[in-house]
Amino acid sequence: MRIVDTKGQLCPAPLIAAKKALKETPSGESFIVLTDNQTSFDNLSRFLKDNKADFQVSESGGVWTLTTTKTTSDVVQTKAEEYCPSSISHFEKGNFVVVISSDKMGEGDDKLGHLLMTNFIKAIKDLDELPKKIVFYNNGVKMVTNSSPVIEHLRDLEKMGVELILCATCVSHYSLESVVGAGTVSNMYTIAEVMASSGNIVKP
Amino acid sequence: MKIDLLQMVEYGGCSAKISPKQLEEILKYLPLPKDPNILVDIDTHDDAGVYRVNDDLALVLTTDFFPPVCSDPYEFGQIAAANSISDVYAMGGDPVLALNIMMFPVAKLPMEAYAEILKGGFDKATEAGVRIIGGHTIDDFPPKYGLAVVGYIHPEKIVTNAGVRPGDSLILTKPLGMGIILAGQRLGMSSVRDVNEAKCLMKLLNKSGAEVMKKYNIKGATDITGFGLAGHALKMARASKVSMVINMKRVPYIGDSYTLTDEGCIPGASFRNLEYAEKDIEFASNLDYNLKMIAFDAQTSGGLLFSAPTEKVNKILEDLNSVGLPDSRVIGYSTSSQEKSIYLNN
Repeated sequence: MRIVDTKGQLCPAPLIAAKKALKETPSGESFIVLTDNQTSFDNLSRFLKDNKADFQVSESGGVWTLTTTKTTSDVVQTKAEEYCPSSISHFEKGNFVVVISSDKMGEGDDKLGHLLMTNFIKAIKDLDELPKKIVFYNNGVKMVTNSSPVIEHLRDLEKMGVELILCATCVSHYSLESVVGAGTVSNMYTIAEVMASSGNIVKP
Repeated sequence: MKIDLLQMVEYGGCSAKISPKQLEEILKYLPLPKDPNILVDIDTHDDAGVYRVNDDLALVLTTDFFPPVCSDPYEFGQIAAANSISDVYAMGGDPVLALNIMMFPVAKLPMEAYAEILKGGFDKATEAGVRIIGGHTIDDFPPKYGLAVVGYIHPEKIVTNAGVRPGDSLILTKPLGMGIILAGQRLGMSSVRDVNEAKCLMKLLNKSGAEVMKKYNIKGATDITGFGLAGHALKMARASKVSMVINMKRVPYIGDSYTLTDEGCIPGASFRNLEYAEKDIEFASNLDYNLKMIAFDAQTSGGLLFSAPTEKVNKILEDLNSVGLPDSRVIGYSTSSQEKSIYLNN
């Protein structure tokens, strides 16, 4: 069995050695980590547990032996962008605006379209970069009422610094003044300016 | 002889802080002095104490010192001074005076290193408008350096851990990862570029960030140091009686911090901080392990974390960007008090 001897080493060196062994060991197989430092032992135990490895501990003469079995194959958590750097620089900087012009997404069944728009807005928060602003006009303003299924999501986005801009004419056309649940109601000049000065526009 | 301070220490900078858990247990038994002029004390785990002199003036008092975080004595002096002064900025105060605190191994290091550390501290203090008017040195190994700083503040304009309101956005002004990059440096894993960036960030005074805070009349702030982002956010959330949602995907970090963490380069201080804070934190079930550990990375002379009304966020970010803090980000928001103090998400 592979022995990872970290005696005499202080954190994080033992963790680095253990992680390397964990990555290189096939799932279901085992290796041994040795340490002679209480803190390193504590941190190794925590680290192996967090990485979902099974381990047995024995101690003698101030040396801890952690017999470790790899139980999963997905040890490596790596973000995609570490390997695929985005080539669209506007998006990296979050220099884009989302335009919501309808309460439905795409052509077809209305119920499906509304569900898709709901899911689209919910997904925005998971993007690697948030948009600078989201503009709502025509039926789109209905997504920002107090009874909208995504109103909490939109409020969260606002708290993360995303500006929500609603078309004033549209809000009054649909008589929604008293039920707008987030964002700022604004005129068409502002909306035109926001769209014209944006690096990119994303329109679902 | 080239002086290398890093050869002398196991833990440098704020990583060398005593565990927050142990500290809390000890402080429980220490009575706090009662005096109506004490405006801020350790009760809210704030960065500095504040004492009212009269209706227009209060003094901000703070001290910080630690073992070397870099090889060069002059740079170490700059970083230690920037870190010590930072607590005054985090309270919204103007630093004015300071005393040197030095522990120096006379038999093990040339006196030239002593002079260089003091020179670094002096230059950084001068940049902050702080006059160093004295100090104290003990012959001790390993070396440690820092300042005791006094600042001025208006008694009604104090910014504290307790000033966060539910619904505020949370802004962080410097990227994380200093502890990881420095630990990686000792093991030859960190790139020169990342080490240089970490050093630049540690030397950077929180002065410009604090000026933006003042302009927008911010009430709740702290600086991120030894307890890591999650630890300091927790102290703020508790003091303000709110909960905080932090989205780690929005938190900036230095260069290869993520990759280093993934390779296991997680400093011991991160585990101490995790142990202290985890009971009061809800970790999202899909939270990336490396991002989680970055949240607990001990920072030295880290950035400001402050809360701001959502409608001002975009203007504040623009201002922070223009004063030379381009990595400033909204990293989350506060809510009314929930079951846990911190909700850590991807």
